[in-house]
Amino acid sequence: MAVTQKTARSVTEFMDDPISFFGQSYTQMHSIGRDELEALQRQAMSIRFQQHHQSIEMLRKLADRLGITAVTEFNDVVPLFFSHTAFKSYPAVLIDKKRFDLMTKWLDKLTSYDLSGVDISGCSGIDDWIDRLDEQTPLEVITSSGTTGTISILPKDKRGAEEGMTLWKICLFQTFGREPTEKELNPSVDVVWPNFANGKLGHLRIANMIKRGFTGGDETKFHALYPFAVDTDLMFLASKMRAAASRGELGRLEIDPALAARKDEFIAMQERQAQDMDAFFTRITEQLRGKQVFMLGTYHLMYDIAKAGLQRGVRNVFAPDSAILTGGGMKGVALPDDFMDVIKDFLGVDRIQVGYGFSESSTFHWACSEGRYHVAPWVIPFVLDPDTSEPLPRTGVQTGRAAVYDILLRAHWGGVISGDEVTIDWDLHCPCGQSSVAFEPDIIRYSEKEGFEDDRITCAATHEVHNEAVNFMKGIDL
Amino acid sequence: MIAYTVPLFLRGRVITDDLVTFGTRKGVAQFQAPDMTKYVARLPLHSPAEMSDLYRLSFDEILDVLEALGNALDFDTNTHLQEAYEASLVANVLPAEMLKNSYRVLRPLFSRENVTEIADSQVGLDYLNGWVPHTLRDGREQRVRAFGSRTLHIPAGNGGLVSAVTILRSVITRSDVIIKAPSNDPLTAVAIARTLADVAPNHPITKHLAVGYWKGGDPAVEETLYQPHHIEKIVAWGGLASVKHITRYIQPGLELIALDPKRSATIIGAEAFADEATMHDVARRAATDIGVANQEGCANARVIYVLTGTDAEGLTKANRLGELIYRELMSLPAVVSTPPLYPDRELLDHLEASRMTEDFYRVIGGEQREGAIVVSQFDEAVDYSPMLSGRVANIVPVDDIDKVTAAVNSYTQTIGIYPESLKRRLRDTLPLFGAQRLTSLGYACNVAVASPQDAIEPIRRMCKWIVDEECDPQTVIPLWQLTPA
Repeated sequence: MAVTQKTARSVTEFMDDPISFFGQSYTQMHSIGRDELEALQRQAMSIRFQQHHQSIEMLRKLADRLGITAVTEFNDVVPLFFSHTAFKSYPAVLIDKKRFDLMTKWLDKLTSYDLSGVDISGCSGIDDWIDRLDEQTPLEVITSSGTTGTISILPKDKRGAEEGMTLWKICLFQTFGREPTEKELNPSVDVVWPNFANGKLGHLRIANMIKRGFTGGDETKFHALYPFAVDTDLMFLASKMRAAASRGELGRLEIDPALAARKDEFIAMQERQAQDMDAFFTRITEQLRGKQVFMLGTYHLMYDIAKAGLQRGVRNVFAPDSAILTGGGMKGVALPDDFMDVIKDFLGVDRIQVGYGFSESSTFHWACSEGRYHVAPWVIPFVLDPDTSEPLPRTGVQTGRAAVYDILLRAHWGGVISGDEVTIDWDLHCPCGQSSVAFEPDIIRYSEKEGFEDDRITCAATHEVHNEAVNFMKGIDL
Repeated sequence: MIAYTVPLFLRGRVITDDLVTFGTRKGVAQFQAPDMTKYVARLPLHSPAEMSDLYRLSFDEILDVLEALGNALDFDTNTHLQEAYEASLVANVLPAEMLKNSYRVLRPLFSRENVTEIADSQVGLDYLNGWVPHTLRDGREQRVRAFGSRTLHIPAGNGGLVSAVTILRSVITRSDVIIKAPSNDPLTAVAIARTLADVAPNHPITKHLAVGYWKGGDPAVEETLYQPHHIEKIVAWGGLASVKHITRYIQPGLELIALDPKRSATIIGAEAFADEATMHDVARRAATDIGVANQEGCANARVIYVLTGTDAEGLTKANRLGELIYRELMSLPAVVSTPPLYPDRELLDHLEASRMTEDFYRVIGGEQREGAIVVSQFDEAVDYSPMLSGRVANIVPVDDIDKVTAAVNSYTQTIGIYPESLKRRLRDTLPLFGAQRLTSLGYACNVAVASPQDAIEPIRRMCKWIVDEECDPQTVIPLWQLTPA
């Protein structure tokens, strides 16, 4: 029975378990009629706001200050959107001074969970703190790193991480217009992860989620480029270094003794990188040749790996039905026009899937055959005036700043504004057949457009930033 | 849409041929300028010998020309200035009234008294106009003269005054000068140059001035021009990236005088809280340091340290001062300060995040993008302090002065201090950390031209200090007669 024929529609199921609501089917998720979906979205948004108004102090204070007690129409929620700065509004000095009690208190006001009972005594650093939150709360916090000396801390939860992986599988292995097969619903594949094996930093945190979600817990099916974890405290040092350098204060930067003690370990890791890369290529050609895999990385990362592979004479390495996911901005190093061909030549796959999302939200929006990013049904997209953040009309073609209200986010407030310029053609019915609203293919970060220094470290830059911090440590006597 | 054209002023001639198009900071508007790759060979002097005409000028004649120039720089009648103003409306972030006013202050800059004060205090008239004799201990007669040099200037564009000062400094040093017009103040230097050509056609001062625009970093222009056989010095203002970029051309024979990007700070002592009247006076002064020209300048106040202490009483005082400063900031006259036309979106996002983080920050104002005061509720500046602009300042209460000195570094330019006694107490310490100018609170943006700048003396640095010495073998023992010591 198709979802559109269901009669009694449960908004509770829609907002709390959309995967079951849509019968685990990508096709059903993107076939629901717009009017019907919007009615569900409005109700769900209104309920979730009431829940979060109760449970998230920062949202409550903002709503109270603005005199907002309920949200019924889509645009009602816009004044309550958080910018990325909300997730890095703690003073960076708290980390320097290891005041993880105050960090916990700060985070408590951003999440719907109660963190008052968390024991952080003797907490030695960011990674340790996140481990404790992992152990003692429903949270699975991810961080992103910035160049301003402050890293964002996003209070995601374990439940969301699990749902996220289920959704990825749905999006990666199913084809729109065809109900899923058993194999598509329960794929067990080798995962190729051209990155550091682990870490708390946003995209690295995904590594563990993928390991759990795609390999059935079989560690041997997870193949990382570098076998070690990126240390968040080291990334924080890199971030502080940049901030200190921009103030001309590099000479006054103090390095946490706990981190300094690991200097040799970090240097050894760095020196092993070329060897690690050779081992990685040996492994994927010997163990994985011709196999169906799941591989993901940014354009930049994918291109670098493909080029390195081709230079070693490795091409057409995986089975054609492998799931390959890429995305992310084109920031930093310009890629040659034929970069996609280079990637395909190396991988030997039929299709490369592309997604769009940002870390303050939780949902990735998959590109269709037309290249449009179709918005998942539990996400309400907005196009805002880039300067004033006023919502633009939900009709015609609108270009502006992307914002979303993600109904599925339970652990933190789901209304977030991105740094991206997007276009939505609200009246379009995409020729791909999906009924959902979609972001047009050309998406660019405003910071990139305006030529400003970006405040984010993308996956592509992690490697360089990591090396930057290690090189800095090499250069000083600890 | 072509909003304006930046002509090439080439030693008295105004060239508007071979135009190419450039973008402005306002999306659709564009501007044109002659393709500098076609003219770059004609920018520098053919031969240094051509500078000899400058040395046939008396200083009186220089004063005459500059005075005539100043008199002609009357905004109401000078069409070149009016054109420059129109262009700056598109190119600059400041509002119209403020820009107009920035042209009105040019005239007094070139008065005889002002020029004489600058020349005499910053170099010395004797050295500029002749050989200054001095007998050394070993008996030699030494004579020193300050010569001008062939200099390229890359002035900042956050106010027309910088271009005017650049020209003034060049003329009094008898330099040959090429000015790269800044994109955010594209026409002021050209307007002054054209006015100079009007009042002193074919005069050596006019013939030793060139002003044009090329995109900063254009190798086709810079690799040709930035050579020791063409220019001897580059005076570069402004952004870290652009100054860093220029350093690649620095080599023996080509010197960089860097007037780097700077930030300024403010220190307010406990005396500010003596009584209501004092607090109001301090608030007005601090608001002025924050607000002048909408905090676009390097001298503006951004982080304001107050020696209130960080206990409850101290925080109450800091918050109260924040309220007062905000009120004074809002009541500054429009010719001095207005809500910013183009507030920094990223900064505003940080501001709103701080507003939600009330354990650590109190945000006063800012909801209409009019400017705001963030009062830290502990002794650290906001992490986004380098972004502070558009009338957003951060008050930081501290327990003792060491916390402040730790925040002063080589990028610190001006420190506005209240009261004077605190300034005198700090003046021998703060420079060790990097502070370059200490001034009375309220005067941070009231910058004197007759003064060292950024801890150097730029006008002296623009000169070549030449020695002529006369050694009489009867007095100065010749080396050929030297015996073993």
